Parts: sequence; C-alpha cells; structure tokens
Amino acid sequence: MSSIVYFFKQSLKGFARNLSTALGSIITIFLSLLIIGIFFVAGAMLNNLMRSVESEVTITAYVADDAPQEDIESVMSTITKMQDVKEVSFTTKDQALENFSNSMTSNPEIIEQLDGTNPLPASIDVELTDPQSVETVAKAIESDDAYVQISEDPTNPGDSIKYGQGTVERLFQLTNYIRYIGIALIALLIFIALVFINNTIRLAILARRKEIAIMRLVGASNGFIRGPFLMEGALHALIGSILAVIVIQLLRMFAIPSLQNAIRFLDFSVSDTMYLLIYLGLVVAGIIIGLIGSAIAMRRYLKV
Amino acid sequence: MANDRSRPVQPQSAYRAAHGGHAAPQGRGRRANKAQLTSQLTQTLPELDVEATRAQLGTPVITFDHVTKVYPAQPNKPALSDVSLQIYAGEFLFLVGHSGSGKSTFIKLLTREIKATQGRIFVADEELTTMRNWRVPYLRRNIGCVFQDFKLLPSKTVFENVAFALEVIGKSKHVVKTQVPEVLRLVGLQEKFGKLPDQLSGGEQQRVSIARAIVNRPPLLICDEPTGNLDPQTSRGIMDLLERINRTGTTVLVATHDREMVDNMRRRVIALERGRLTRDQDRGVYGFDV
Repeated sequence: MSSIVYFFKQSLKGFARNLSTALGSIITIFLSLLIIGIFFVAGAMLNNLMRSVESEVTITAYVADDAPQEDIESVMSTITKMQDVKEVSFTTKDQALENFSNSMTSNPEIIEQLDGTNPLPASIDVELTDPQSVETVAKAIESDDAYVQISEDPTNPGDSIKYGQGTVERLFQLTNYIRYIGIALIALLIFIALVFINNTIRLAILARRKEIAIMRLVGASNGFIRGPFLMEGALHALIGSILAVIVIQLLRMFAIPSLQNAIRFLDFSVSDTMYLLIYLGLVVAGIIIGLIGSAIAMRRYLKV
Repeated sequence: MANDRSRPVQPQSAYRAAHGGHAAPQGRGRRANKAQLTSQLTQTLPELDVEATRAQLGTPVITFDHVTKVYPAQPNKPALSDVSLQIYAGEFLFLVGHSGSGKSTFIKLLTREIKATQGRIFVADEELTTMRNWRVPYLRRNIGCVFQDFKLLPSKTVFENVAFALEVIGKSKHVVKTQVPEVLRLVGLQEKFGKLPDQLSGGEQQRVSIARAIVNRPPLLICDEPTGNLDPQTSRGIMDLLERINRTGTTVLVATHDREMVDNMRRRVIALERGRLTRDQDRGVYGFDV
C-alpha cells in the first residue's frame, strides 16, 4: 500500500520534471481518444439511423386485381414460413389508395384527378427480421409458383416485387466502408498514442537513470523500480482520456442540439447508456494504452 | 596448513614458513583484543601478531569455483580465468591488481551484474549463475556496495540519500527514522543530516555512501576503490571506518590500488593479474611494483 503511494508521488514528480513531454503525451492521448470517441458517437448515430432505415425495408409483392382471396392467403402463409420473415400483411386496393392519399395531402389535386378510379394494386407486405436478407426473401417469393399465378404479370413476376433494390445494398456497403476506415483510423491513432507515451516514459527513465542505478544497487525489486513509470504512463493516459470525455460531453450538450436543429430529418440522439459506455471505454482504453506504452518503453530502456 | 582453504596458487607458503607455519588472521574469539590492536594499527607498525589464529571458519559465505568470465568483445582474453577461492564470514580482505586485472569483473560477478562464462559462484549457499533474475534484487540487499565515485544523488540531502536505500526496498517510515540516524552517527556524520552532497568534502561523501551501503545491515560489504579519490589522511579515516564495520561481523571486501593501506593493515590479500588469481595471502602486502 505504501509503495502505491510512493509510486504515485514519484509519478507526480516525474510529471513535474518533464512537464513539456508529459503535456505532449497527454495532448496526444487526448486528441486520439477524442477522435476515437467522436467516431464511436457518430457510429452510434449512424447505427440508429441505419436501424430506422432498415426497419423501413419491406418487400411489397403486388397482386393482380382478379386474384382469388384463398390463393392470396395461401401465398401469405408460405411467405410467413420463410426464413427471416417477421410479419406478413395484406393491403387491399382501398387501403393502398388511402395510404397514397394520406401521403399526398400536400397536393390533393392528384387524388382528384383519379376521378374516383383506383389504379393502385393490392399487395402483400413482408417485414423482415434481418434487413440484410431482403434480396433472398424477394427471390424466394418471386420463384414461388403460387405467387406467380396471382402476380400482376405472371410472365414476369419480378416486376411485381418491390423492395428498394440497390439503395439498401448501397447503404450497407457504405456503412461497411465507414467501419473499415474507422478501424484503420483507430488503429493508427492508438499507435501514435503508444509512440508518444513510449517516448515520454523513455525521457522519464533517462532523467532518473542515476536513481535507477542506485535502486538496483541497493536491491530494489524490479516491480518497485518499474512501478512509478507504469503509474506515470497510466496517469498521463488517464488525464488525456478524461479530457476527451469532457470535450465529448460538451459537444453532446452544445454542438449536437444545434446540429439537430439544422438538420431536422435525421435523428442524432444516442442513448445515455451508449454515451456512458463510450466514456467508460475511452477511459479504460486510455489507461491500457498508457500501461502498454510505458511497458514497451521499460522493456527497451529499463533492463533490470 | 592451519586452515582448510583450498587455494589454487599459494606463493605465500614461504611467508608462512617464516612465521611458524601459522596461517593465522584475526579470529572472532580475539575480537576484543583486536579492537585495541586496530586502534593502534594505523598509528604504529603493521600488526604481525602470529599468535592470532582464525577461529572456527565455518562454511564460506562466498565461493568461487573455477570461475571464468569472457566478455563477448574480447573472446580471446578472459577478464577472469579459472579463479577459485573462498571467503568466510567476518573476513576483511583486499582485492589488489593493476587496472584491467579483473577486479571490477570480480565485483560485478558477486553482485550478479554479469554472469560467469564458466564455473560457479556461491554467495550464502545460492548459486549466482543459475539464480533467477527476479531473485537478484534480494541478493543485492545482502551486499552493500561502495564506489570510488560515491554515486550519491545530488538533489537529496545526506539523510535522504541514506533513507533512499531503505525506502526503495520497502522499509517502513519507522525503520527509516531509527536506522538512518544511527548509521549516520556510526560513520561520524551526525552533524550533517541536512547537507547536500555538494556541500560535503570527498571523505564525508564517501562516508555517506558507506552509510547507505550498510544501513540495511548487509552481511557483506564490497568497496570498489573506496579511497581512490581521497587523500591519504582521509583514506585512513575511511579504512578505520571499514574496519569498525568489519568488527561488527560484516564481511568486508575492498578492491584497491592503495599500496600503503594494504601494507599497513596486513589483512588477507587476493591478487589478480590479467584475470588470474596469482596470490591469496593472509595478512599480506600489496606486493606489486609501482
């Protein structure tokens, strides 16, 4: 216990002794973790956004006007049994028209021009548990003979099935790219932080090499010699990560609300628990980076 | 032979024969008597008390068993070659030899700063060549070291320098508060607790470094040229101090160039020449031509 206090005192002294390099490593850690943290917050936002887009991914399979009710029901029950299908519902011609007119309240003249006729087909709507499998399910419906019978154009049933082909795929591709770039960026930032911590601890070791020589001479244990440096590295990282957390919290309180005001149609809200997790993750990651950085420095410059 | 030491080289036999064949340094049983003698020692003639016999020697605290050390930089010129000797508890001995004769290598082997290339070294029943790295600090706690250049921390006071040695091996504040003043009194620096090393003379600085070496009460004290930087007067003071420490039961090994000192004190002398043990003599002299 007393040695922990000793380590702490020593690391504070080391801090004061090498103020400029200590500040350098703290700022590096701070900036790295800040960028990583912002990345994670943005990732959480994107995830939310994706989820809302994904929940809107449904397959609409249009049905010919003259299709018999029992055929429609049998097709619906087949689709229900398919993998990844969450819910199957039926929209009649009337409902379709109603939905359409609801979405067109801003220009009601379109509805008026219809003149009482209903050109909209009835449809089977399929909701999925996993949006990624939208294409497989769509293909499965398309190749289902019973559906082909009741589709608008039995010679080309694919035309009757709509599921926002392409857009979904492109969105997934985009998020995947962003994920890879993010991982690469985070790895790079962690590497830079490690190099800086390593350098700071190296200087701290050099500044104290006389003391270290005497400690070795009188038989201080390896742990005792290394403790202060590990503590120093961890302390720098801790301060840097706390600064990063503070800045992200400030951004959350001031920048994000005004961003939300400017761009209303996207939802930038991330849950409190998510923020808490990110903050915790940053602090823990910071301390681990600090410990690893100083451990590397000690392996190289502090042979005991 | 009066004792059972096995020695590879024994050029001292002539010396022994001249003194009645008694290989006889000072023993524990005669410590009181010796204390008197040593106080006169530095002022009067060299002590030649042939009656003094080594008491029960017991087991050696240090054993060199055919030790060879070859540095990678000089593969054809071993720094120590085939050195065998034994050192017993409570001995006071000199290690003499020219520069490059292997004195420093000998000391570094003892503190396990380096490992022997061949042979075995035992310190207090532990073999240094096979000792695990993490055990080395605990070995060093049993060996006090004093150097020619004192190795004091300039930013710490006398007290702090000595206390540092206790703090870093995890001794409590209480131990520090009691041991440090005591040992500083022992080396005669009771008035200088708060001084910085720069404010002290060379002899005083060496006393601080001796205090630091013995504050943990190690059974073995190794001094590498302790008087190398000091004038003869001050050197004698340091040697008196080392002798006092030896009288408390501490084994003292002094590597030195100081001919006068070795000749005056007449203790066991181990001479090294180009890495070889050329002489191991009780109550010996420096013996090299200057």
